[in-house]
Amino acid sequence: MKGIFTLLALLVAGSAVAAQASESGLADHPRWKALLHINQGTTWRYQGRSYVDDPDFFLHEDGATEPQAELEANIEQLRPPESEARCRFPARYRFLSQQLDWTDDGGLSHCADYVEWRKAMPQARVALIFPASYLNSPSSMFGHTLLRLDRGNDEDGVWLSRAINFGATVGGEENSILYIYKGLVGGYPGYFSNVPYMNKIRDYAHLENRDMWEYQLNLNESEREWLVAHLWELQDIRFDYLFLDENCSFRLLELIALTRPESDLMDSFRIAEIPVNTVRALDESGFIESSKYRPSKAKELDALIQRLSEVEKDLALGLSQEERVSETEAFQALAPKRRHLVARTAYAYLRLNNREGERTQDVAARSLALLRLVNRTPSVKEIEPERPVSPKKGHGTKMIAATGGTMGESGFGEFQARLSYHDWLDAPAGFLKGATIEAFNLQVRKAESDDLALERLDVVNVRSLAPRNQFRKPVSWFVNVGLDRRFIGNKRHLTRQVQGGGGLSWALGPVMPYAYATGRAENNSAHDPFVSTAAGAKTGILWYAGAFQAGLDAEGLYYQNDDVSFTASATLNLPLGSDHAIRASIEREGGRERAETEFSLSWRYYFD
Amino acid sequence: MKKTLLALALVGTSFGAQANAPGGPGCGWGNMVFEGQSGMPVHLVATIVNGTSGNKTFGMTSGTNGCDTSGALAYHGENMLAQQGVMEEVAQDMAVGDGEALTALSVSMGIAPEDRGRFKQTMHENFSSIFSQEDVTADEVMSNIRSVMKSDETLATYS
Repeated sequence: MKGIFTLLALLVAGSAVAAQASESGLADHPRWKALLHINQGTTWRYQGRSYVDDPDFFLHEDGATEPQAELEANIEQLRPPESEARCRFPARYRFLSQQLDWTDDGGLSHCADYVEWRKAMPQARVALIFPASYLNSPSSMFGHTLLRLDRGNDEDGVWLSRAINFGATVGGEENSILYIYKGLVGGYPGYFSNVPYMNKIRDYAHLENRDMWEYQLNLNESEREWLVAHLWELQDIRFDYLFLDENCSFRLLELIALTRPESDLMDSFRIAEIPVNTVRALDESGFIESSKYRPSKAKELDALIQRLSEVEKDLALGLSQEERVSETEAFQALAPKRRHLVARTAYAYLRLNNREGERTQDVAARSLALLRLVNRTPSVKEIEPERPVSPKKGHGTKMIAATGGTMGESGFGEFQARLSYHDWLDAPAGFLKGATIEAFNLQVRKAESDDLALERLDVVNVRSLAPRNQFRKPVSWFVNVGLDRRFIGNKRHLTRQVQGGGGLSWALGPVMPYAYATGRAENNSAHDPFVSTAAGAKTGILWYAGAFQAGLDAEGLYYQNDDVSFTASATLNLPLGSDHAIRASIEREGGRERAETEFSLSWRYYFD
Repeated sequence: MKKTLLALALVGTSFGAQANAPGGPGCGWGNMVFEGQSGMPVHLVATIVNGTSGNKTFGMTSGTNGCDTSGALAYHGENMLAQQGVMEEVAQDMAVGDGEALTALSVSMGIAPEDRGRFKQTMHENFSSIFSQEDVTADEVMSNIRSVMKSDETLATYS
């Protein structure tokens, strides 16, 4: 008998020791660090401490910087059965109860609000959603990411799913300069939100014309449990929102890393979190199971237009203005299924044109009349837009290039490095055709006759060709800020410049012609006034052949002080796989006194 | 106040009753509002940082046409249809005979998967009586849907 007691005593003491032992290492446990959002060297700021400043997120006053102290405070407050703190931190409770073997203590059953919320929150599947950039909007050009929680069954669809979004909260009263400054460098608080996914479909696919990519993740039940329980802990917790690294995508990456802390998701240092790279990081770490494409309303309209003949297009345009067109002979002469397509096109066009703001009585009446016409004609299946290449399969977002060439009599070698992202002659798979989005593009050149010199630096270079047709009449534009070189007198001078312009473009199969009116302001050492201004024109054509991209471009600028400059170029880009490309170019550039021809050949390597 | 609203934004409104009956008389086909951000700088930054202007309760902006914008966690037909912008999608799907919005409406009304084909077909056939006029409200659409269902022997069990 005594022996049994001794044994029991030993067992009790043993388990206490075991608990003690595991407690001592717990603060370093990857999951504990993930639950506290501790920066383990993934970004610049706040290394070794929590990203969260909000005191509501911690049970110890130094919890943000002392994971061990926070751990002890949590053990103390979450241990008692019926603990209130458990209801605020169900994921931490789950972690501690598993690690320290807390059994039969009632769990979370006393947390009525949490239990009710959990019952209502879907969690059968998790998807990462990537609304791609949309034509002509600079601020969306890097895309966005959010999470979607599904109720489960494929046949139920995803309209009733929930969207988990991390975004900044922008105040209402500030002036526009401050908006942009704070938006870029930080200063806005960031919060997680939980809204119906259908609202996100409406905002992105319907209002903003952004295609959405839905990447289903392969999280298992236990992993999803970590995610959802932790979301509850994040409600009304304030983060800082930083545009470059601690943004919407980075916060989601952290959430997903919590579900599998042993994954290598947060191992590499991240200077800037471009949403598409988040998708790729998840793919490389084996989280993505499948992907689905959700076209925007604009793509749906384009797909409809493509199926119509010229006569039918005119009928659709007329019909969208006046429903009476359906009684004309030309319309009645169409086969019933063609009538259906024309009516759907007319409705889609009317809908797209009136997608924002309050609908007028007239538009409401026409919309309903068109839907009735759609309803009266036999439905046509499979008119979905073709699925483009997934953004995760596009070329790397960073690039370096080595170039050799001649300019006039002199040979040169050049090195180029680009932090992000894409120019319109790079391989278009996974990107928007006719769009250039470059930030921090640097070119340094060593010519035979000169020292090593800066050839070009684009701080920002954005160009957008938005093709026009009978239905859609968007304006194309471009803006470029940085340093470049041009002939002033007899010499090529470095100029600090800002230029931009508006214009028109079209898509004729794989060919996109464009024309811009341009304006430029620059500062250089050759001109007397501090700032010289110029106006001019730019025109060209892009050709997206299957195996290569080619471009012709001509530009002339006339300066206020009577100086002129012009360039004309032909460029061929030949992708070799998704990571490499060869680019050849001939360019004639000159000014009032001198002009030279440049030949160049580059090897471009895309990575990350 | 701020914290409460935020909590609601994250939690949804599964707790407690809703303040307004969704889909009141103001929520109709004729005065449908498609809310976007207004003002260029605000829109620009809001898009850059993926947030919203105004207050912190994004996802809970109040509709200006009486539609429900509370972002409820659960739906039961009526409140689904009264979500801002949903009626337009449901109408289009009914006119065509299929689509995600119509599927979601059937799910929210508790219609079993095996009966959804019939539901969609019936809605398609009765489109013009369901969307009876251009100023029809979400409430009226819902009651038209229910009366169409009543005259179908299978669907009658759901209405």
